Amino acid sequence: MSQVETGDITLEPFSVSQVNPNSYNYRLGKCLKVFIGYVGGKSRFEEISLPEEGYVMEPGRMYLGQTFEKIGSGTYSMSLIGRSSMGRLGLFVQLSANLGHVTSSHQWTLEIVAAMPFRLYPGMIIGQVSFWQVEGDIAPYLGLYGRMSMPTESVLMEKGYDFNR
Amino acid sequence: MILTGSEIQKRHTNGQIRIEPFSSDRLTTNTYDLALGGKLLKYTEDVLDPKKENAFKVFEIPEEGYQMKAGEFLLAETVEKIGSNHLVPIIHAKSGTARMGLFVHVTADLFDIGYYGKSTLQLYATLPVRIYPGMLIAQVSFWVPKGEIDLYSGKYQGGEGPQASKSHQG
Repeated sequence: MSQVETGDITLEPFSVSQVNPNSYNYRLGKCLKVFIGYVGGKSRFEEISLPEEGYVMEPGRMYLGQTFEKIGSGTYSMSLIGRSSMGRLGLFVQLSANLGHVTSSHQWTLEIVAAMPFRLYPGMIIGQVSFWQVEGDIAPYLGLYGRMSMPTESVLMEKGYDFNR
Repeated sequence: MILTGSEIQKRHTNGQIRIEPFSSDRLTTNTYDLALGGKLLKYTEDVLDPKKENAFKVFEIPEEGYQMKAGEFLLAETVEKIGSNHLVPIIHAKSGTARMGLFVHVTADLFDIGYYGKSTLQLYATLPVRIYPGMLIAQVSFWVPKGEIDLYSGKYQGGEGPQASKSHQG
């Protein structure tokens, strides 16, 4: 909390009720991208707005969501995970790439997979972000994803992408 | 900062870490190995809805093991009760478990400081896999927190047996 006041941590909007002993509960934003298939050698996603009555996810299919909050820090590295109440329902959030670069700040794109059919609601508390002290000099993150606030699919397969980076 | 195995031993002796039952031979370089308890929980709903209480059944794992199907999702428990009022536990699969295609927690690996109880494991089989009661399935590491400590007093405190989601309670 004190780090939000000093500006070392960005959580917008911020609510004290979402603070945990070692993390902050973030909400699911409205925009969801659904994989619809490969077209011309590229993954294609359809963008939908989550209805208030919820949206039922198919098991085993990957969806891209977004955090409702803008989350970032110029001082700490971040680890963003799902909430245990969601994990207990078989909902995977950020299953693999959970580490947030120090100096990035944006609405995070969430990788979401359900083990069983699962109803997603906009604005639901879906996970937690924790902040980790770093050791060593901080170099600014120059990557692409750290500025994106809409659910953003991978650019790995885009033409001209340098796989050595 | 992450604790080493010998530091986990020391903090267990001085009471900063609670692990019951505890055996020194379960210590690794930076973790303590956890065993699978005897009970499994399976949801019986067609669609899981975080706004309501979802129906489930609980059953014992037979000695000869339980065969999980690929894509099956179950809640399980650790034999050990674990927790700390001073350090942050994080749960991981043992790599031998993960290499069989079995995930032991799907998303929430971080324990709140102040929680003490059995850990509910979120088992997800990506391949068919057989699980046995008492097998070493997970490991826990301990991390030094920064800032004032406000102890956990949430809805899962004192967990015994696999604890179904209480997301509908807010």
